Amino acid sequence: MSQRSFQTIIARMVVDTEFRAHVREHGLQSLADDLTPLEQERLLQVASDRGMEATRLVHKDFRLSKLYIMLPLTRFLLGRKRMIREASAFWSVNPPVSHYFLQEAIDFCDHLLKRLASGLRVKYLYEIVSYERAALELQRPCQHEEAARSQTVNFNYDPMILFTQLSRQQRPRAVPPLRCTLVGTLDEDENVQWDILKSNS
Amino acid sequence: MHQQSSVPKLGIGLLYQEQLRPFIEREQQHFDFLELIPDIMWTDMGYGSSPRFIENRRGISLLRQLHREMPVILHSIGFSIGSAHRFDREHIAQIARWYEWLKFPWHSDHLAFMFTEHATSELNVGVTMPLPYDQESLDLLMPRVREMRSSVPIPFLLENNVYFFKYSQQDFDEAAFLNQLCEQSGCRLLLDLHNLYTNCRNHRDDPYRFLEKLNLENVLEIHVAGGMEAQGFYFDAHSGVSPQKVWELLDWVLPRVPNLGGVTFEMIGSWLVDVGEDGLTAQLARMKEMWMRHQPAPQPFEATV
Repeated sequence: MSQRSFQTIIARMVVDTEFRAHVREHGLQSLADDLTPLEQERLLQVASDRGMEATRLVHKDFRLSKLYIMLPLTRFLLGRKRMIREASAFWSVNPPVSHYFLQEAIDFCDHLLKRLASGLRVKYLYEIVSYERAALELQRPCQHEEAARSQTVNFNYDPMILFTQLSRQQRPRAVPPLRCTLVGTLDEDENVQWDILKSNS
Repeated sequence: MHQQSSVPKLGIGLLYQEQLRPFIEREQQHFDFLELIPDIMWTDMGYGSSPRFIENRRGISLLRQLHREMPVILHSIGFSIGSAHRFDREHIAQIARWYEWLKFPWHSDHLAFMFTEHATSELNVGVTMPLPYDQESLDLLMPRVREMRSSVPIPFLLENNVYFFKYSQQDFDEAAFLNQLCEQSGCRLLLDLHNLYTNCRNHRDDPYRFLEKLNLENVLEIHVAGGMEAQGFYFDAHSGVSPQKVWELLDWVLPRVPNLGGVTFEMIGSWLVDVGEDGLTAQLARMKEMWMRHQPAPQPFEATV
């Protein structure tokens, strides 16, 4: 049993810097009572080893790279520093549970949408996060063929102009207001296709 | 349990990455086999889920095409053979299913743990975490290797790991541990020379001392790759071309590995922009030149599908 506790504690020290600081400052009391003296010694030593910081860096880069790949427009709109800040806040309450990370990217979108609802102000972020979230939902693996899979996204600004500016790697500005709904579906090759369903204004 | 102790001499391999796909489809004269991380061709719905693995239709279609053209070797990342809280027999069953399909001559994974217990679910560190080189780790690994070997009747290789910290008071040093593991469990080694270089550079160890102590008869595959320096450490980032010292290690090892089946170059696909197709071709050509100096000519490939 102590191997399990040993691995759990060492993994938590990689993903959670506060936990590692706690181990460094307060030791292993109350964390696991089945560790052997050698395991305790090793954990305390590793908690202070600068190699643990390098391991943490690999972990963080791996996790961040998944968000970058899956949410390229969100990353561009937020900018690198704010993206890392938001990801760190999100990770502090969401430990990594899969190595596919599609669900994590969807959950990160939900985190950003909540942040927007509670005061985060980044123009066009609502549209872009909703759009990339919908695309990920469409790509989520399905156990059965689903003929009528689709996702809808409401836009408050003209999506054609917004996407044109983003595709030119320009920070979007002065995009005209336009209330409309985008509908995403998967084609035969499993590529996402988007249509503007209707204009609401 | 009887298994063949040698594998076909395939020659030079390239690790599949989506961004390398045009190069792989067009430039097959530069390498002899393709190595593939099978976990990118399916989605793992999580330990204990049913179904556990959902295969990617586009990926499977690509693999069917490539498998007609050259041998495909599986190098998995999802087994987490060192996880103490569970033994993933579902992963073994999935590899066994793919073996029935692709009939690869060997397959490999990492000597590490990535998944641990965490509250009501699992935690994925996303990093191949080192196991202590102790008898206790051998006791954990041996029945798992044996079960893999009995389910997939070809050599199963474990890759020497990168580690940025060392555990104190280990029963064995790394080479002795790997020798014991092979002797007691019957697994073979994927010797990653860039991992070795990374460890030795970060810990100021001598790679040749490690290699002289390692039983090189167990090495069936070698990896070479590039890396980068950051924040005072050297990282096995698969970022670009191999350092000169890794080529020197390859030149030293190649004549000393009688059972070698292949040498594989690993590079993250996005680095193709920096390295260029000419640069990638040059890496493969250098590997081929060394192979031809030290190893028998690669055996011709016969498609099985």
